[in-house]
Amino acid sequence: MGRLFWKLFFAFWLTLLLTGLAVATAVNLLRQSPDGNEAPAVAAGPAAVMLVDAGASVLQYGGVEALRALIRNEEGSARASRLHAVDAQGKELLGRSVSGDAYAAAAALAEQTGPRRAARWVSAEGERFLLFVPPSEHRAGARHRPRQPLLPPAMLMLLAGVAASIGFAALLAWYLSRPIRHLRWAFENAAQGRLGVRVQSRIGRRRDEIADLGRDFDHMAQRLQRLLEGQQRLLHDVSHELRSPLARLQAAIGLARQNPARTEAMLQRVEQETERVDQLVGELLTLSRLDTETGHTGVEHIDIMELVAAIADDARFEAQSGGRELRLTTHGECSGHFPVDALQRGIENIVRNAVKYTAEGTTVEVIAEYMPASKTVRIEVCDRGPGVPAEDLEKIFEPFYRSVHTSGVTGFGLGLAIARRAVQAAGGEIHARNREGGGLSVEILLPCADERK
Amino acid sequence: MKADSGMSKVLLVDDDVELGAMLREYLQQEGFDAVAVHDSAQGVAEAVSGRYAIVVLDVMMPHMSGIEVLRRIRAQSRIPVLMLTAKGDDVDRVLGLELGADDYVPKPCTPRELVARVRAILRRTQSASEDAPLRLEVGPLIVWPQRRSAQWREAPLALTSTEYNLLEVLARNAGRVVSKAELCEQALGRPLTRFDRSIDVHMSSIRQKFSQQGGDPSLIQTVRGLGYQLLRP
Repeated sequence: MGRLFWKLFFAFWLTLLLTGLAVATAVNLLRQSPDGNEAPAVAAGPAAVMLVDAGASVLQYGGVEALRALIRNEEGSARASRLHAVDAQGKELLGRSVSGDAYAAAAALAEQTGPRRAARWVSAEGERFLLFVPPSEHRAGARHRPRQPLLPPAMLMLLAGVAASIGFAALLAWYLSRPIRHLRWAFENAAQGRLGVRVQSRIGRRRDEIADLGRDFDHMAQRLQRLLEGQQRLLHDVSHELRSPLARLQAAIGLARQNPARTEAMLQRVEQETERVDQLVGELLTLSRLDTETGHTGVEHIDIMELVAAIADDARFEAQSGGRELRLTTHGECSGHFPVDALQRGIENIVRNAVKYTAEGTTVEVIAEYMPASKTVRIEVCDRGPGVPAEDLEKIFEPFYRSVHTSGVTGFGLGLAIARRAVQAAGGEIHARNREGGGLSVEILLPCADERK
Repeated sequence: MKADSGMSKVLLVDDDVELGAMLREYLQQEGFDAVAVHDSAQGVAEAVSGRYAIVVLDVMMPHMSGIEVLRRIRAQSRIPVLMLTAKGDDVDRVLGLELGADDYVPKPCTPRELVARVRAILRRTQSASEDAPLRLEVGPLIVWPQRRSAQWREAPLALTSTEYNLLEVLARNAGRVVSKAELCEQALGRPLTRFDRSIDVHMSSIRQKFSQQGGDPSLIQTVRGLGYQLLRP
């Protein structure tokens, strides 16, 4: 149980306790207010009035004995007699006991004037009788009983309230603080470099802001993990790539030592390998610079079509010397602000790649067109080379990817990786697909709001 | 597995064509008959053909796992295999030794170092010295130095040449603790380097082969901090 749990717990508990106390006080005050509807000592309803009227008539015209018979008669029935007749000495006609309360109330009621009274003094045979109906037993019970048992001892109520509020507050605090503890656990793990942890499974099916936070953490961890793995793989690949030229350097030195007649040839070799290492380091630096640059450096206003044409001219020269052709087709015009160096490098890498892989006697197609509808420049470079296995079409843009078919081709496999980063730096995207009839087609889409003046 | 002629035939399996050509040239100058192949399937086929005395195998080939090549060679042949491994990559190295490679050289290495290793392995495998005893017997284990083979009671042990060398050194010194440095020097033909676990990997492999033939792996005792000992019953 962390601090947060206790904070939440006490906050909730206090709130609940205070609310409970306030409600209890309010209820108590209401209950203790003077009760106008206090149970009467005599019945005053229409039934009682009727009974009293009937009794009075019987007494006046039938005499005492008739009244006694009436009451007794009624007493024979299932229901208890309710009419009471009390003489001036306070004696009830049938000798039933009468509470002083009821007598006093009835007497007071009888003093009142009015046509329909539920208690009356009636004179007959020289005696005055007070006729009234005491409240029925069950009614009196209903009115009187709740007074004590409905309100349990105040202590018990207080204890129950405290216990319930503790339970509820603890539950709520636990419910809120538990996912946060899981999040903390995940962050601790991530901080120690264990990026494989995920909180989703621990948070479960919960759907609220805290659960969203957990899911966001998972996304972040996953992305970081992928990035980190990418970096580690890159480092591993770099060390491997550096090893090959170094091994060749050592072999060349060994050969020169072994056979001094070969020294000159081997020195050339050493030179060549050194250049290769230099080139590799250069490309790696470019890659890492493109990674860290935000795309605002080196931004210039250029004509894209001109840039593509210049790259195509250079590459055509190279292609023709290898018995290949290069054809450039442009539609429309477009100029805008772009990171020139990065973009030039990217497009150049793709075109050179196509020239390198296309079969002898075939033509590399370079198509550049402005699409006003989507304000995009599309640059497509198609070759007639071996293509790429469908499952590797995304991987060719990863550093050091080299297709199985390319054992004869030199290079480090960084060209397309650099191209992708460059195009991304210019805000565009890059895709590759295999062409019908063989070969690879790489397509660049660059957002370009035409800014020609 | 001796070479056809007096010249030892060396098979180089490495995907780096240029390096392969240079190493071949170097080995030829040193008096070896060297052949370089750059394809894994071809490498396996050549290695098990019986025409070579030793295979130098690059386990870091990107498109074909050298480890897989080694596995396939070992499934069919006990030809000595020298691995070229990445410096610092212990996984490949230990895995290679476990799969029965005879030794390893970290790449990049000088060709001189490579030739020294090749010579060391060939010397061990080819020249059973004339004065070697015909037969060494340690309890149920019988070692035949002139045939370079060993057996557990009647069952022959399929040892690689490095494993055989280690076992022979232990058998010659049965009942005595032989230090790892001594084992490395005598059986692998090179000094022991720091953090080198090769001897332990080979020993564990020998014990496994004992077990496979119904033998008792605890006949070889590890003496912590000192080395290994073949118990004389």
